[in-house]
Amino acid sequence: MGFLPGYGYFVRTAAALQWDEAAIDLRGDAAAWPALAPARRLGIETLVAGFCVGEASVSEELEPFALAALDERAATCFRLQARDEARHAAFFDRVAAEVVGVAGASPDERREALRPLLDPAFLDLFEERLPRIASRLAEHVEQLDAAVALYHLVLEGVVFTAGQFALLELLDEDEALPGLRGGVDLVLRDERWHVGFGARALGLIGGSPHTLEQLVEAAEPALRAWGGAVGPEIRARVLRLHARRLRAAGLVSEAVAA
Amino acid sequence: MTVTEETQSEEETKKWICETCGFVYDAEEGDEDGGIPAGTKFEDIPDDWMCPVCGARKKDFREMEPGEDIPEDVN
Repeated sequence: MGFLPGYGYFVRTAAALQWDEAAIDLRGDAAAWPALAPARRLGIETLVAGFCVGEASVSEELEPFALAALDERAATCFRLQARDEARHAAFFDRVAAEVVGVAGASPDERREALRPLLDPAFLDLFEERLPRIASRLAEHVEQLDAAVALYHLVLEGVVFTAGQFALLELLDEDEALPGLRGGVDLVLRDERWHVGFGARALGLIGGSPHTLEQLVEAAEPALRAWGGAVGPEIRARVLRLHARRLRAAGLVSEAVAA
Repeated sequence: MTVTEETQSEEETKKWICETCGFVYDAEEGDEDGGIPAGTKFEDIPDDWMCPVCGARKKDFREMEPGEDIPEDVN
């Protein structure tokens, strides 16, 4: 086994992963939405709220990462990722507006309407901690390892992954929401690229002992930010995947990630 | 191609690469952490196995060409 791709590998593969969020047909989803069971609707709406807020936040925070990168191809990867994140934010906003029927004349207004569904810890992760660490990069490029660890491996690799698994579980109860189901699959495919790139970038940058320790310790508290929207089985599964990822990418020893 | 060369070529094509993240599965090593013992051919891995780094599915891997380099520095 080996995990040694250069940044050029990610630049090359990104081209094959592009898709158009505006082309996804949500009309069938919108028609089916009112007939879904209320508890299922609330579960989906809460997860969509998380992605509307989370994706909007992450899409705005990548330029400092690109500016802090010493390798030009790494900077290109961060900018390619920013394009993906903007697409994800636009897709989930479409779902909120066209399927869920969230009130608001703009993405900002719809996010404001959805925010009460989310745990304060979730908002803190995406709207406080991430912007704070991204803004620090301007003066402290040496903290890029900690920023990548938080953004790519905790927020994307753990929090978003858990939310996507939970959303897929709800969507797979039947085929009522095919547009959302197909879009989540495409988002998940992009996220795999992001997480793979982040894991490799952290390996190439070289994470400090403190960053790597945090990477292990931060996962479980971050998962709790979903509140009841993500069940214990998915949380446990995602934590196992996180530990396995850190070992496979050579970021931590087996003993540390066990 | 002689029989010997053909056998050698088959031996060399035991690596599969995740097209999303570049992780390489080597049958000689397996993926003990993922429950795949050393020596397991890629074809024999369960379909629900996932890339240990990015979580891509088994079908998102492709067999590496004989002599193809692990993409350490693809530009």
